Amino acid sequence: MNIKKPLLVIVLLLVVLVLVPWLIHVSGRWDFYYTLTSVALLSIASAGVWLTFYIGRINIGQGAYTLIGGYASAILVTKLGMNFWLTLPLAGLICALISIVIGLPILRLRGVYFAMVTLVLTEVARLTALALPITNGAKGIVNIPMPTELSFFGITIIPDFGTLENPKLAFYIASVIMMVLCYAALYRIVNSRLGHLCRSLQQNEELSASIGVNTAYLRVLAYSISSFMGGIAGASFVSISQSVYPSSFQVVDSVNFMLNCFLGGLGFVLGPMLGTLVLYFGWDLLFTLGKYQLLIYSSMLILLMVWLPNGLLSLKLFNRGAKKK
Amino acid sequence: MNKRLFLKTAIAGILSVGLFSGVALAANETLKIGFVGVTSGPAAAWGISNQRSMETRAAWINETGGYKIGDKTYDIEIVAFDDQKDPKRAIAGMEKMAQEGIHYVVGPNVDDGAAAVRPVAEQNGIMYFPYAFPKSLYEAPASNAVLGMVANYQSGPAIYKYMKDEKGVKKVAFVAANESDPLSQRTGGVAAAKALGLEVVSDSVTYQVDTTDFTPVLLPVVRSKPDLLVLSGVSPANAPQLIRSARELGYTGLISTETAQDALVLKEGAGDLANGFISVGGASTPEIATDMMREFVERYTKMFGEYNDESNTKVYALEYILETLKADPAGITDAAAFKKIMDTFEAPNPYMKGDAVLKYVGMSSFGQKRQVAVPLVVNVYKDGAFETLFVAEVD
Amino acid sequence: MEQVLANGLYLGAQYALIALGLTLIFSLMNVLNFAHGQMYVFGGFVTYTVVAQLGLPFIVGLILSGIVLGVMGALIEKYLFRPVIARSTREESTMLLAAGIAFFLDAVILLLFGEKQRGIPKIIDGVLNWDYRIIMPYDRILIGVLAIAAICIFIMYMQYSKTGRAMRALAQDRVAAELMGVDVKYYSMIGFALGAMLAGIVGGLLVSITGINLGMGGPASIKAFMMIMIGGAGIISGAIAGGFILGMMESVGLLVFAAYGDITYLMIFVSLIIFLAIRPHGLMGKPWG
Repeated sequence: MNIKKPLLVIVLLLVVLVLVPWLIHVSGRWDFYYTLTSVALLSIASAGVWLTFYIGRINIGQGAYTLIGGYASAILVTKLGMNFWLTLPLAGLICALISIVIGLPILRLRGVYFAMVTLVLTEVARLTALALPITNGAKGIVNIPMPTELSFFGITIIPDFGTLENPKLAFYIASVIMMVLCYAALYRIVNSRLGHLCRSLQQNEELSASIGVNTAYLRVLAYSISSFMGGIAGASFVSISQSVYPSSFQVVDSVNFMLNCFLGGLGFVLGPMLGTLVLYFGWDLLFTLGKYQLLIYSSMLILLMVWLPNGLLSLKLFNRGAKKK
Repeated sequence: MNKRLFLKTAIAGILSVGLFSGVALAANETLKIGFVGVTSGPAAAWGISNQRSMETRAAWINETGGYKIGDKTYDIEIVAFDDQKDPKRAIAGMEKMAQEGIHYVVGPNVDDGAAAVRPVAEQNGIMYFPYAFPKSLYEAPASNAVLGMVANYQSGPAIYKYMKDEKGVKKVAFVAANESDPLSQRTGGVAAAKALGLEVVSDSVTYQVDTTDFTPVLLPVVRSKPDLLVLSGVSPANAPQLIRSARELGYTGLISTETAQDALVLKEGAGDLANGFISVGGASTPEIATDMMREFVERYTKMFGEYNDESNTKVYALEYILETLKADPAGITDAAAFKKIMDTFEAPNPYMKGDAVLKYVGMSSFGQKRQVAVPLVVNVYKDGAFETLFVAEVD
Repeated sequence: MEQVLANGLYLGAQYALIALGLTLIFSLMNVLNFAHGQMYVFGGFVTYTVVAQLGLPFIVGLILSGIVLGVMGALIEKYLFRPVIARSTREESTMLLAAGIAFFLDAVILLLFGEKQRGIPKIIDGVLNWDYRIIMPYDRILIGVLAIAAICIFIMYMQYSKTGRAMRALAQDRVAAELMGVDVKYYSMIGFALGAMLAGIVGGLLVSITGINLGMGGPASIKAFMMIMIGGAGIISGAIAGGFILGMMESVGLLVFAAYGDITYLMIFVSLIIFLAIRPHGLMGKPWG
């Protein structure tokens, strides 16, 4: 990639903060704010999955961490009365900690075995949420208040969402800023020493271990960063819907996070973002097709895959020398 | 080949779009009513029966010249959104309804979806009619949700009391799927049974919704020897299998549920073993159905090829919305006017014989009138059809 | 206890048959077929249509299910998986294709067969009651026996026929098999068709007991994934073992944990994770990446 990182971030920020709101304003499609907020949050979670792909693991368990993150934030807000904006990083950290405990044994698995264990993990998270008293079991946690004001020495940094005229827009802005930050961080990781080491894991784990790479540490590190992203995405969703249920994130979500990465392209940092946009937005756009919606949607998915098996970004247009095997 | 496949799909796509945009132009103004629910995946049956009842009724109204509200006549258009039983999608669906300028939405079908759409509905002045039971949706400060059917904590006690008095039931066992809705319903059911002085012999057995063999699930339940086995919040797909397994294990007592079922599904899935199964239904049993109900079933069958008995409970929400709007036409653009008229609204029930009325209830359960008054019709299955066991009312 | 074992055996037989098709496809092409469950549902609906709507005998429906799904599998392999595998840089990419096919089949099933739960009349009536120690309806016994018979036929076929030998060679080493003159493309297609056919046959068998509805596909795939994990991915005997082990675990677990109800499946899943953490390749799996 020839474009310098800061420039890329600025362009991305301009697009999501100026161009998109302008387009929405012109077209009057206010409902797209929520759809795009979802895309932003889901693509954060997908970015995490992409990072685990980067160390050569198929992760179909991100739904577990989005659920844990959602519950962590909901419990901290409702039971301890904490400010949502503080619970957001905490939810991520809790997920990261849990993922270290779980990751240490299961990251030894590879290929489909790891994929399947993570798939089971999502179901484990759902059943645990149903069984525990702190999560309020089947009844879920409802009536979670809107994010409140975050101030620092009396200066308001983030206003109280409850008093805003248009909380939809506020959620949108918060989500896209988080998304840009996450992808900038991801880009930084991939193009650092850590990223090179991760690539060595993806290609041949034994070989990289034999030349002195601490593979176990690297794997757990990447996995916990991935889960952190899942956690904050989940927490944000919960604050939008103001409720969380054991079924808020399920196996389907985990599978979708993975599909987003495939569709966008596993070799490209922005792949999961584009994949989420196409998969999630595509479904919404096809809503007028009524009962044929799923048929057309899946046909297009299959055709896309047959046409571009390496993801959307593998189109020659985007593919500037980043060819890898 | 790929190109050809692509072409074919493209043509199919264009054709279907063409079909949809080719809806006849009508002289009447259009009144859009929304539906947000699940019409694909495992729980598709719930949403589809729901959406189809609405579409049947709308087509019927439009065919007979439209619906008169105030001094205008409207054609009814149903705008449906498939939320795939995902609360995140349900929010998107509600946003879409707001975008379309819709103020009245039927759905979502499950607890988590109904809770998730609440902020959007309240911000956009949308009244919605979920088929979910949590009381927090209908109690103040929530005010935009109206329960579209009888909740299990209302029907359960009535059914158990009937069983206790008429059938001499003393011991009850509960089985539920390990999902939010059925588990919440089980908790409610157990409380109701205990309040009536019944002995609850088993209330901890759960199953995964994807279970293909219920014999191991039911073995410990049947061994606890209940007189009545309650299938809490059972989905129509699981009910026949559970009944069959219980009977095959030698269980001879009564079996009941508080959800709506379909007679054909029971017949195909359990055959004669389903005889005596008690469930909650609408008003289509011959004893109480009016000519209008019969015509509805007829039209539904003609339109979609096959009737679904679950629709009996789902025919009401649209009727309530339209009748209430008729009572105060200001409601068409303003949900506040709708809420105001809800307290005093009353109209005859066109689907049930007798002097039943459409009105809003819920004072005793929610402290405000946020539930449609539908008759609590308890059915018993017999040889491929339902018979009315008894009819009760909810306040 | 006898009852629990009998239940476990019956469950295991049907599970094993589902897992067999999945593991066959995986061993030949390294494709994790997300659409396997949907194929099973499709097979069930074919039998339902033939038996309940056309009024033909059950065995006709069963055979037709197998044929329809076999043809579908062959076409899917030839026109979808083969070109994608040939051109993708990472073979996991086929997961997206498989998921797309799963969605597609879901949509087709909904449009063709509707949203309702379907079932066919019992094939034979009556219940075997052995002194109240084992209670088992006759049709359940019949289906269990048929499932086990199908498993045996499949093993014999893989062991002794030319096609079976070729496929086993393919599963062991694709390149070597090709060098030995095995027509890799042809046998991949046959293998996929065979896997799909097995899914169709299970669907046909189970429609007489549990019935079928369009929602059963996804969960069935996931269960089948778990079984092949237990036994070892791509290993025929492993899939059979996995199926029976999961069947037994459910049957025993549901009885033992009945008092704690809600956590039965949690325990099953957690123990599966622990098992795999200790034995990363399942019972008999090959250690590959």
